[in-house]
Amino acid sequence: MTQLKNVFKLIGLYFKVNLASALEYRSSFLMQVFGMALSNGTFVFFWWIAFAQIGGRIGGYDFNDVMFIWALTSTAFGAAHILFANMNRLTRLIISGELDTFLLQPKDILVSLLCSKTSLSAWGDFLYGFILIALTQGNSVMVWLMFLLGVVTGGLLITAICVTAHTFTFYLGDASLIGNMALEFVINFCIYPEGIYRGFIRVLMLSVIPTSFIVHIPLKLARSFNPLLLVVLLTVSFFYCFLAYKFFYRGLKRYESGNLLITRL
Amino acid sequence: MSIIEIRNLNKLYRTRVKEEGLKASFQALVRPVYTEVQAVKDISFTVERGEICAFIGPNGAGKSTTIKMLTGILHPTSGEISVLGFNPAKQRQKLSYHIGTVFGQKSQLWFHLPPTDSFTLLGAIYDLDKSTLKKRVDELTECFELGDLLKIPVRKLSLGQRIRCEVAASLLHSPEILFLDEPTIGLDVVVKQRIRELILRMNHEDGTTIFLTSHDTGDVEQVCKRAIVINQGQIILDQPIKKLKYDYLNKKIITVRFNLEQHLDAPIGVRVEKTGNLGACLSVDTRLISIDEAMRWLIAQGGVADITVQDPPMEEIISTIYTTKAVVV
Repeated sequence: MTQLKNVFKLIGLYFKVNLASALEYRSSFLMQVFGMALSNGTFVFFWWIAFAQIGGRIGGYDFNDVMFIWALTSTAFGAAHILFANMNRLTRLIISGELDTFLLQPKDILVSLLCSKTSLSAWGDFLYGFILIALTQGNSVMVWLMFLLGVVTGGLLITAICVTAHTFTFYLGDASLIGNMALEFVINFCIYPEGIYRGFIRVLMLSVIPTSFIVHIPLKLARSFNPLLLVVLLTVSFFYCFLAYKFFYRGLKRYESGNLLITRL
Repeated sequence: MSIIEIRNLNKLYRTRVKEEGLKASFQALVRPVYTEVQAVKDISFTVERGEICAFIGPNGAGKSTTIKMLTGILHPTSGEISVLGFNPAKQRQKLSYHIGTVFGQKSQLWFHLPPTDSFTLLGAIYDLDKSTLKKRVDELTECFELGDLLKIPVRKLSLGQRIRCEVAASLLHSPEILFLDEPTIGLDVVVKQRIRELILRMNHEDGTTIFLTSHDTGDVEQVCKRAIVINQGQIILDQPIKKLKYDYLNKKIITVRFNLEQHLDAPIGVRVEKTGNLGACLSVDTRLISIDEAMRWLIAQGGVADITVQDPPMEEIISTIYTTKAVVV
């Protein structure tokens, strides 16, 4: 319990420093936030037109369902990248020997590493999801609760998937392609109705790259709450985080450092 | 009392090798060839508490690899390491509370923020409470004359100012050992001197043990009491700086200034390196002629206004050690 408290404390500390660092360039910060929110907003019109043309349901989802998974993907992705932006730079950090700084400190390496960078544009993604939920889902407490829960579990799952993919760098030398593909896979499979996927892809979404647990299952819970499904969602989320954590530490034993000039931005 | 103990330490890297060209790249893809590089070969040494020890060697000698094994960044292939009684490979987290590190090439300060923000974060990382951290920052601010620098974003500091802040940051948690890897790299002579004075002050006032690697012989000569020389992964020399200079000091440099113009006809063992209108620079091989004799000869020339006798530059001594592959200790 104390360890978990320390992890949260560490995340909070890095969050404050990163935010202060981001606010050094106010105009850039605001432009990136609103630019990203605006960019995401265009997709609402795409779906609105699609539903207007086709009508009824697509892949078992109505317009509001699609907006829920869009909002959840956006906010979970945003939260993960606000807090753990280094997840996408892990390969580079490993190859260039930037883990040294974190290995010399007495705190958890993976947490420190992930938290030590933030993404400005992720604030746009983060806020966009809330706006979309407020505009399309009404005031249902259960919807909001499941949305917030989904942001936490989804954010953790996205992070765990990226960490796992990039950790292959310890074994392969460069896993940036795997990391990028994993993130693309996650985003692409999260923003479409679950019903359009069949067979092998569906199995992948429920196992190796658990995108169903990021958005589709929270949506099921929001529409019809099921305590058992909630337990499954929580268990899977924490299990994947545990696996990613263990895999990273196993790989870390193969770390070979480096001598590049390094600055912390 | 030994604070660092290394016994029969080895580090082996497995590296992929590839011939030149695209064809070889495809061959390496199908059938990769690996070779083993031994970065550190069976080295052993100890460092006492409060010592200032230089760990020097040419590029690729194994200095950084050894420091990284001492701090727990890299795991040794074989051998034993004990730093403050901890095994760095297994007790890295515990050890990190007691050691500080400055890698001249790697910054631990946030580039866009003033050092004070990085200090606050680092204080929390090392579990320092607010009052302890404030007291420590005040002490270091005074010692390193950081004053106004604390509130200026790091990106706007000069390299010398940044390094002063880096060293201060590494001392926030009052480490017992400070590992300095090229701390004066890229600095001008004035700032280098300042950093050296600060290192000495830390050692005198707090008793901090200093383990320093540097290519700058000035760092070694002016700061350290002992030098361990490593080359091709092996320790080739481990001596006090004084003895090192004495053993490799077969030469003295004499700079002389005359009142009148002189023509110098040097005896055996004395070489005129440089002459000017009213002065000269001579090197004396003490194996062929004693300093006493050389001085008497020089005085006998008449019109001597000033004489300075110096040891040869440390650079020369170290270069001799590297090239002659001296005795394994």
